[in-house]
Amino acid sequence: MVGWGVVGQSFAQIIAQRKKELAKKYGFRPRIVAIVDKKGAAINPKGLDIEEMLTLKKDKGTVAASSKYGCPDMTALEAIESVEAEAIVEVTPTNIETAEPGLSYIKTAFKTGKHVVTTNKGPLALALPALTELADYNNVCLRFSGTVGAGTPILEFAKNCLKGDKIVSVRGILNGTTNYILTEMDEKHITFDKALKAAQNLGYAEAEPSMDVEGHDAAAKLVIMANWIMNKKVTIENVKIRGIRDVSAQDIADASEKGCTIKLIGSIEESLKVEPTQISKHDPLAVDGALNAVTFVSQSAGEQTIIGLGAGGVETASAVLRDLLDIKQTIANSMIK
Amino acid sequence: MKKIVMKFGGSSVANGEKIRHVANLITDNRTEDCGIVTTVSALEGVTNQLIQIAKEAKNGKRDFISKFTNELLERHLTVAKVAIKNKQTREETEQVLKERIGELEIILKGIGYVNELSPKSMDNVIAYGEKLSAPIISGALNDKGVKSTHLTGGEVGIVTDNNYGEAGLLMQVTKYQVRRRLEPLLKEGHSPVVTGFIAATQNGETTTLGRGGSDYTATILGASLEADEVWIWTDVDGLMTADPKIVSSAKTITEMSFQEATELTIFGAKAMHPRALEPARKEGIPVRIRSVFNPDNQGTLITKEKKVRHEDGVKAVTLVKNVAVITVSGAGMVGAPGTAAKVFEVLGKENINILMISQSVSESNISLVIQRNLLERAVNTLEIALLGRDFIREVVSEDDVCVVAVLGAGMKGMPGVASRIFSAVAKESINVRMIAQGSSELNVSFVVKEKNGANTVRAIHKEFKLNEK
Repeated sequence: MVGWGVVGQSFAQIIAQRKKELAKKYGFRPRIVAIVDKKGAAINPKGLDIEEMLTLKKDKGTVAASSKYGCPDMTALEAIESVEAEAIVEVTPTNIETAEPGLSYIKTAFKTGKHVVTTNKGPLALALPALTELADYNNVCLRFSGTVGAGTPILEFAKNCLKGDKIVSVRGILNGTTNYILTEMDEKHITFDKALKAAQNLGYAEAEPSMDVEGHDAAAKLVIMANWIMNKKVTIENVKIRGIRDVSAQDIADASEKGCTIKLIGSIEESLKVEPTQISKHDPLAVDGALNAVTFVSQSAGEQTIIGLGAGGVETASAVLRDLLDIKQTIANSMIK
Repeated sequence: MKKIVMKFGGSSVANGEKIRHVANLITDNRTEDCGIVTTVSALEGVTNQLIQIAKEAKNGKRDFISKFTNELLERHLTVAKVAIKNKQTREETEQVLKERIGELEIILKGIGYVNELSPKSMDNVIAYGEKLSAPIISGALNDKGVKSTHLTGGEVGIVTDNNYGEAGLLMQVTKYQVRRRLEPLLKEGHSPVVTGFIAATQNGETTTLGRGGSDYTATILGASLEADEVWIWTDVDGLMTADPKIVSSAKTITEMSFQEATELTIFGAKAMHPRALEPARKEGIPVRIRSVFNPDNQGTLITKEKKVRHEDGVKAVTLVKNVAVITVSGAGMVGAPGTAAKVFEVLGKENINILMISQSVSESNISLVIQRNLLERAVNTLEIALLGRDFIREVVSEDDVCVVAVLGAGMKGMPGVASRIFSAVAKESINVRMIAQGSSELNVSFVVKEKNGANTVRAIHKEFKLNEK
């Protein structure tokens, strides 16, 4: 585990609580052999005790404080290189400018033959075509379903449920924070600034909200979908992005008169775009609050819309587990034919 | 900002004067809105010398090594002296050359002591050709007041697998890294010089790109940067309608598609290896082939679009010499599935490449064209493997032949081209021995006697009025 924040801890709790069930139902007995946080690492090749690690983080601020297994000076890169493991779960915060340090963590894991599950959108938004190529070359898997829709299986739906069909275009609301703000503006007839404040007070928006309101988060998710679902070799530089800062109360009122509303829509057609778009209130994408919604248009099966919560530690942790189960199955299949 | 990638081959950087000329060509085309990335080969002849000395070192001949590296240093210092006037710039370059040749000497001696030359060590050695030339060209640019840095293929971010000697490219990883490395340099007004031909694995071990060499580096850089054009500077004015040594009125082809260029380069126009065109073709980056001796001529532009005009049906005619025809025949081959496969399999196992194939619908014989120097080996192999079995009666060969290839995307779906080609040949009383046309209709290839090759090319060139285009 690289990163021991909300997602990492939630994931560890899930596998601890559901230990028996996972073993029985999926033949999956995961052991966390190393955890790295900002202040160091804890390593035990036999598997770390999750309760102890959670307590250490709460009481002492780092897992490196473990008397038996702590390595206070060890960096994440050293741990990834030196620890023997099948897979790395990389859950460090997103950096949309340089993708670091997550990008180096993922590359190092590949070079040392480790599969990677990540929830970090930065490396994927900036370098997904390169990372896919590097994973293939090193014969390992890269999975990231927690990055789009968190617990809502948007990527799996498109990839597995629409197998054989050709997805021709994708449109969707990919960011819960901005959708909450736009919904508030529409329902309460308030300005962007007021709605942003309300979202911040409720913890939906961060103190520094630009990643969400400028549309970068939605654009990153769009890039991930374009690569994974539609095989387009694109990065965030290929997305035309406009955020919601300049959407006025008047714009929304005007739309409302026509039975419409304004949503931050990301779309993949010929090109990739994220921009505030007027849609009918009856459009299946017109979801309220912090929900996400994505419509897939496929050649034979027509239109499907999938709706669900797009964020949250536990939801994202469940996606990490899903990805690990998928990797386990892939490895097992390749070993015994 | 406009971006152009330029490539200069070994003959363009053979000595100090030529390198000054190269630096002029770069600075003449460079403006504030047009950044130029240059990639260069080793000084003429150096790569072959390096291969030679590495092999000798492997055989334990260590005495020659210091003499060789001293001479190599002398040559590069002499070139640098002419190419770089400014004393400080030259001394900096000389320092780099001395350090690198010092490394090379240690590597060669190491090979000599362990008597082992793995493909990996070989790549390490031959990489020094470009590692020595790039600093001089970069220095010559600095000398002219253009900020320039020199980088190896690995430093610039070109990543390959570890198939040493002919490494396979990881294009997406390369693209990501090259952009991050070069774009800031271009924005700062730098004009970087990258070693051609060499790259590195994901762990930073030196590899070489094999076939296509520095041209390949140029198109990789062009595709990575999404450059406006890639310019391959060479000693000819571009791709020609025919070999000017055969047809004195041959013209430069001003524009052609990647598909046509690939056909043309396969059929003997030695301007560029088809593999080197791939990165540019995939990203749709135009490639221009032009002459260092005649920079006013725009050369040949190879683009994605197929601008087919019907009167352009035929674009070029080339002659492939040093080939031979083998004909395998026997009544037992008729209606016997797998016969052709057996013939190809036997030759494939002997590493004999087949250039052209034809079989009539009667199936009673198959004719193949191969390189002439492999003829005896091919005939022996086929006879040993296949004669004496029921389906083959004899293997006949002819070694006084050549292949004429007529190319052009406009030939597709245009009735009468084949008729015009063969009428023109018939008028010269030349007999056609064997014909092949793929269903792509991009080219028609046929075999004539070698003594008739040049006349055939001239007749077709004339028939399609290629000298007037």
